[in-house]
Amino acid sequence: MPAAHNLMSVSAAIFAVAAAPAFAGPIMDDIKANDSLVCLVSPTAPGFSVPDSTGLFQGFNADFCRMAAAAVLGDAGKADIRGVGFSDSMKTIVAGEAHMGSRSITRTGTRDADEGMAFVVTTFFDGQGFMVPKSLGVSSAAELDGASVCAEDGSTTLLNIADWFGAQGMTYRVENIADKTARLEAFFSGKCDVYASDVTALTADRQLSETPADYVILPEVISNEPLTLVTRPDQAFEAALFWGFQVMLNADSHGITSANIDTVVADLDNQSPAVQRMFGTDSATTDMAAKLGLANDWAYQIVKQVGSYGEVFDRHLGVETPFGLNRSETPNAHAENGGLMYPYPIR
Amino acid sequence: MIPPSPPPEARRDLWRQWFGTPVTALVSLISAAVALYVTWALLDWMVISALSPTQPMEDCAGSSGACWRFYLEKSRFMLFGTYPYAEHWRPALVSLLLLALSALVGLRITGRLRWLRPRMLVVLWVGVIPLAFVLMGGGAAGLAAIDMSRWNGMPVLLILSVIAIALAFPLGVALAVLRHQTRWPVLRRAAIVYIEGMRGFPMVTVLFVGVFVLPLTLPPDTRISPVMATLIALVFFHASYFAEDVRGGLQSLPDSQHEAAFSLGLSWGKTMRLVLLPQALSRSLPALVNSVIGAYKDTSLVVVLGIHDLTSTARMAFSEPGWGQFALEAYAFVGVWFLLSCAFLSWVGRELHRKQSRKSH
Repeated sequence: MPAAHNLMSVSAAIFAVAAAPAFAGPIMDDIKANDSLVCLVSPTAPGFSVPDSTGLFQGFNADFCRMAAAAVLGDAGKADIRGVGFSDSMKTIVAGEAHMGSRSITRTGTRDADEGMAFVVTTFFDGQGFMVPKSLGVSSAAELDGASVCAEDGSTTLLNIADWFGAQGMTYRVENIADKTARLEAFFSGKCDVYASDVTALTADRQLSETPADYVILPEVISNEPLTLVTRPDQAFEAALFWGFQVMLNADSHGITSANIDTVVADLDNQSPAVQRMFGTDSATTDMAAKLGLANDWAYQIVKQVGSYGEVFDRHLGVETPFGLNRSETPNAHAENGGLMYPYPIR
Repeated sequence: MIPPSPPPEARRDLWRQWFGTPVTALVSLISAAVALYVTWALLDWMVISALSPTQPMEDCAGSSGACWRFYLEKSRFMLFGTYPYAEHWRPALVSLLLLALSALVGLRITGRLRWLRPRMLVVLWVGVIPLAFVLMGGGAAGLAAIDMSRWNGMPVLLILSVIAIALAFPLGVALAVLRHQTRWPVLRRAAIVYIEGMRGFPMVTVLFVGVFVLPLTLPPDTRISPVMATLIALVFFHASYFAEDVRGGLQSLPDSQHEAAFSLGLSWGKTMRLVLLPQALSRSLPALVNSVIGAYKDTSLVVVLGIHDLTSTARMAFSEPGWGQFALEAYAFVGVWFLLSCAFLSWVGRELHRKQSRKSH
């Protein structure tokens, strides 16, 4: 019975793709036809995606699902955000059963070369590090010779560890546990000496311990991890994602947030030309809307319903949150402040 | 009739039982102290230092007692996870149906509810299992389709335990019969290889094979969700254990049963169905209940496959930033659930033992 149901939904998806007119793109059309955008996130990544009391995913990554839904469907609430493990989510996206993924996937050359996947825009610049219990008495990753490491299977994490330990001429042992909570539990209970992941994920995961102060993150950052939104090839949808993100960055440059966007738009004539091009009724964004098949006010809806990039960062990861990340100290600072977040011109 | 009141010697007996010799006295005192300490700690956590659900969440920070407000906020999440909030009646109904049906089976095999024919139970199972999937998955009868990644918490625990056990049982019986019979040696060998092979693997290995290898054997373009793959793997795994329990029952029957049935002119099938299996099943029930308890508790292992059963949703409930301090409350919720459900199962087991020892005396 359920297998038949699966088959039915697969064939229904194939049929929908085949029957759709070809002017936009298969994913864009599918999202509009279903009036819902299926977006995959990690099931438990505090600060990035974790379900709240009503079962809705909240967090930094989840908000980019909402950004896409606000851009394409005009309603952030139409994002159908699902928590799926890493390797399953890749398969699901390639198989066309989800429209996009916002789950801290590192953009790499070979992944990008895969024809079933399209990386769009980096929402978060991260790097891989190591977390150890204080009781281990280690202050540098160079002292980790012979350590047992808990890391995620199939991710770039294991490859980076192999490279780094190899280059240092050190040995290590991997404790391979697929589920993240189980893996963390193993680390907190002392089954492995070292927990390896992206530094920001480590900051977040440390909060899952009952005694976060007992763990330290070692200073070495051993890789570049551009965490990127992923979808299947569809020029219109990719453009909507890319420029939706640029709207959030540009809003950040001009200090526009979900709280003040209404006053900005009400007083548009007195705003800078760049702001007028973003939110005017006959502007660069309405031009793009006509070409990509979006609603005219898509840029406004993104900022109104989701916020600017800085707002989203501070809401989920900033100094006011348990993670206490100061955005200006991370590579995700605005380019003007020496970071890597460089807003592209919307014109 | 009013039972006669116990003679006054009883009090002295009690004293002797507890404090008769220095060793028993010491053991009694130590266990009484431990019992008192545990009761006090529980009472303190649940009542004295606890915060009532009327107090806001903020008050719970740093409290040493239970935060009852946590359950008010997170119970529905722990039970149903990320299943759409407005549709929670569906997993709730599925859970109730599966629990009620399990309770019926439990009560029936302990000799209660005599009016309930085994055939009626089979019909109920055959109806409820597909109904559970339709209710959960939707896409039919006007129900919104819900992706399997949103099947979390209690219904997933029950699907992977109750339904897996219900489906594994007939398979296990069939395997036991194949292994017991001598008419078809090839099938007998195959059953032996299957049962011994399956029992030789750890359950986690079988689960990984189900989730990672099983999809490779399917035609390309068909995908099977982790929940379904796990269910299939669990059915094949549990069946081998049930088969051994039932075979134990079959082997304990005296040969005369078989010979008597033959001399009545019953065919092999009828001998099995009418004479041997009914007796063998009732003899193997206590062993089967044991296997069922084990199978039920092992279900939580599916978390390694990224399936979010009750244990996993409880963890997610305190993964939300700022909720990490309520780990104890969340695990207590799961603990109490497993305590209650396993208590029912072991009660069934005890009743069966009592019935059997009555019968054999």
